[in-house]
Amino acid sequence: MKHRSIRIALAAATVVLGVAAAPVQAQQMPPWEAQLYEAAKKEKEFTVYTAHYSTEEASRLCTAFETRYPGVKCNFVRTTAQVAFQRLQQDLMAKVAVASVFSSTDVSHYPALKKKGQLMMYRPHNLDKVVDSLKQYSDPEGYYTVTAAALMLITYNTELVPQAEAPKNWPDLLNPKWKDKVSIGHPAFSGYVGTWVVLMQKLYGWDYFEKLEKNSPQIGRSVNDTVTMLNAKERWVAAGPEATTLMSRDKGNPLGVVYPTDGSLLMVSPSGIPANAPAPNAAKLYVEFMLDKEAAEVQVKSHSLSVIKGIKAAPGTKPLEDIKVVRPTEEEITVGIPEVKVKFRDTFGI
Amino acid sequence: MSASSGVLHAVSRRWRHTDRSAWVWILAVLVLAFLVLNPLVRLLVVSFQEGETGSFTLANYLAAYGRSRYVEALGNSLTLGFWAATLCLLFGVPMAWALSRTDMPGKGLVWLSILGTFIIPPYLGAVGWILLAGPNAGWLNRMVVALTGVDSGPFNIYSMTGLVLVVACYSFPYVFVFTKSALDLVSSEMEDAASILGASTMRTTLSITLPLVLPAILGAFILVFLEAIALFGSPALLALPGRFHVVTTQLWQFFEFPPRVGVAAAYAMPLLGITILLFWLQRRITSRKGYVALTGKGGERRPIRLGFWKWPLLGYCLAVCTLSFYMPMVVICQAAFAKAWGRGFTLDNFTLNNLYFTLFENNLTRNATINTFLYAGAASVIAVTLALCVAYIVNRQLVGRHTGNILSFLTMAPFVIPGIVLAIGFYAAYTRPPFMLYGTAWILILAFATRFLPIAYANSNAAIRSINPELEDAVRILGGSRFTAITRVLIPLLKRSLAGAFILVFIPATRELSTAIFLYSINTQVLSVLLFDKSDEGNFEMLAAIGLLLVIITISLILIGFRFMGRDFMLRRTPG
Repeated sequence: MKHRSIRIALAAATVVLGVAAAPVQAQQMPPWEAQLYEAAKKEKEFTVYTAHYSTEEASRLCTAFETRYPGVKCNFVRTTAQVAFQRLQQDLMAKVAVASVFSSTDVSHYPALKKKGQLMMYRPHNLDKVVDSLKQYSDPEGYYTVTAAALMLITYNTELVPQAEAPKNWPDLLNPKWKDKVSIGHPAFSGYVGTWVVLMQKLYGWDYFEKLEKNSPQIGRSVNDTVTMLNAKERWVAAGPEATTLMSRDKGNPLGVVYPTDGSLLMVSPSGIPANAPAPNAAKLYVEFMLDKEAAEVQVKSHSLSVIKGIKAAPGTKPLEDIKVVRPTEEEITVGIPEVKVKFRDTFGI
Repeated sequence: MSASSGVLHAVSRRWRHTDRSAWVWILAVLVLAFLVLNPLVRLLVVSFQEGETGSFTLANYLAAYGRSRYVEALGNSLTLGFWAATLCLLFGVPMAWALSRTDMPGKGLVWLSILGTFIIPPYLGAVGWILLAGPNAGWLNRMVVALTGVDSGPFNIYSMTGLVLVVACYSFPYVFVFTKSALDLVSSEMEDAASILGASTMRTTLSITLPLVLPAILGAFILVFLEAIALFGSPALLALPGRFHVVTTQLWQFFEFPPRVGVAAAYAMPLLGITILLFWLQRRITSRKGYVALTGKGGERRPIRLGFWKWPLLGYCLAVCTLSFYMPMVVICQAAFAKAWGRGFTLDNFTLNNLYFTLFENNLTRNATINTFLYAGAASVIAVTLALCVAYIVNRQLVGRHTGNILSFLTMAPFVIPGIVLAIGFYAAYTRPPFMLYGTAWILILAFATRFLPIAYANSNAAIRSINPELEDAVRILGGSRFTAITRVLIPLLKRSLAGAFILVFIPATRELSTAIFLYSINTQVLSVLLFDKSDEGNFEMLAAIGLLLVIITISLILIGFRFMGRDFMLRRTPG
């Protein structure tokens, strides 16, 4: 009840202020959108399994969706990529259709689902709005579309490390002065870390990790664990996520980020619609929404990157065009992650 | 097969003679089969199945034990289980004795601290301990450095020792409650006999009192051992950075994409073997002796006068509680009330926003809170009822000895199955007709009830063992039915033990994570899952706020419960 009244108040406020976020009238929508919206209203509600965002951000995105499309309720289950995937598999095996949208951060999930015929084909109309450099990461056949992007870079505790002394590039983390002071995640738990390990191997060979081992890095699970370790001052520098680190800095925690001169790792995360989606029209509408302005603005506020053109970065975040980004090819990632997981365990013993 | 026909045979024989309550036993056995046997059988079947086709294979076992790393993890789990359980005895037994038998002051405070400890999810406690004893920046280490001027502090929580300590801190309440409820039933007369013969207090305690409660202590030891090797949260936080694996973190890897459920099931099998072995040992040790302490003949219980020694004893109790409760709670409160916890204790860093957001602005938290306590309550009622039935059947030999052993094993078995694996078993068993429970609250309630059934059982079992059957026989001789004997004599005598069992299931059910994470659905979220998700988001302020909320609500609910049951519940000596 309370939630709804807040939403009405919000809607009223936006109407009064004439802000663009007001519900778009059906007749103002392009025909395809109006059509999807009508069909989605009949489905009433839909559920997103997402690993892309924090709970708060996922919740804000759903609220923004419901504001734009009154009458369609947006539910979400926010969890880690592996758990989201496990749940989807469970649902499929149990023949219980729950998720209408599946958003994982592990890109290897999508080809696997596609191969088994468990994804629905849909080419969003809003695909044209996507940043050109990100277009290549969506499925050319239209079984999944990139809806989120973020960076992994070097992070540090600003009370312990002066800006001038912070590492400037990835090999700087191997400097003996950081012995017992580096924090990283584990590729078996985190899709981010897995991709990062593949990238480091590609750039510097496995030697990189043999040397990193000598610095006894602290190995957590999720890439976000590095944020906790820096805040606790247990570790000084880390290979961490941009978005979570800056969100924590916004609260006043003493954290800083460095965009490595040899390139920040670009993480792209697709969304797909399961073939058995109970609300396929609402799902399509949601994917379109994710490639539109409102969703991009919500994401940018949480320091994620905008996947569409023409959105300004949040204060304190470098705009994407000013950053050197690198990313292994999709094949290198899909083939590489299982391989580096084994190597990682051999080198670090866990 | 033979087990169930044995049950039926025995039950039908009883049915012909006077026992009209037999249907209750049949029902209990059926429920047990549904909750424990079915998922266990599924697990066993899956361990021999090829993933895609379902055909018979041994490949899962080869994959599960084919690497030395996997076998090492098994060894680490056994080490962890043994030392954690031993430490739990060192923590729990003296405290139980102090609170039950002595005139130590400050009993209420100690008892509340133990309750608080039990309520903290082990995962949350582990996070607290990382901040306390992290090798670089842990508060304790910094204190040592500041006081002595050494280069680095001595504590490293990321080690087997650290893990043992943290696991023991959050498991010793089991030992405490089990031992205490057994000690509460031992009458002073038995100790008097020893004193009259000239034994000292110490000698009496060690050679009379403690041996009398040996079954309870052994049961608790096994329970804690099994709990320690089935935990996932604390090892994931402490063992991985400490560079070693235990069974549960290893199991997690079998669920990586593509998930290998068969291998995981095969890998979990030795745990079942260990459970069987422990039970066999327990029976060997206790079977030939009598432990009946509560008879119909009265018996007085007086506190032992400790004199000066009550102060060191109180010091010990408070020291343990400081490790397990006070120090971690200080850390958690600091974070829950901090704008940015990395900034430490300053006034301008104080905020109520985290708590406010958690309580009022977040629908998810509110629904999850209601679900958590509702499910935990329902699960406790089911588990305690079932455990009591089985304990009664087994102890009063309403079924044959072998059937009794099997029933007892089935009741205890769920504890050793790591929550993740139990969830998979549940999932495999109850997502297909005729039992379609997936997506409903029932699958969570039943999974919680099953997971903590062993706790309820160990508690009920120890309680029933200590009650002399003569009390019921008296009712039967006077013409009362078994039902009358149970409801009018047994239940009133067991009331406090049962309430204890309820709490012992209720609390871990509120913090249960590993089963919930696989079985919850959009409308059935619980707080533990929210906490887990937060851990992965790097948002420690919110994590601490939700954790604090969980602790405060649980403590309040339990205190209200005590009020309801009588104010000095669990603190008062049993009137004879």
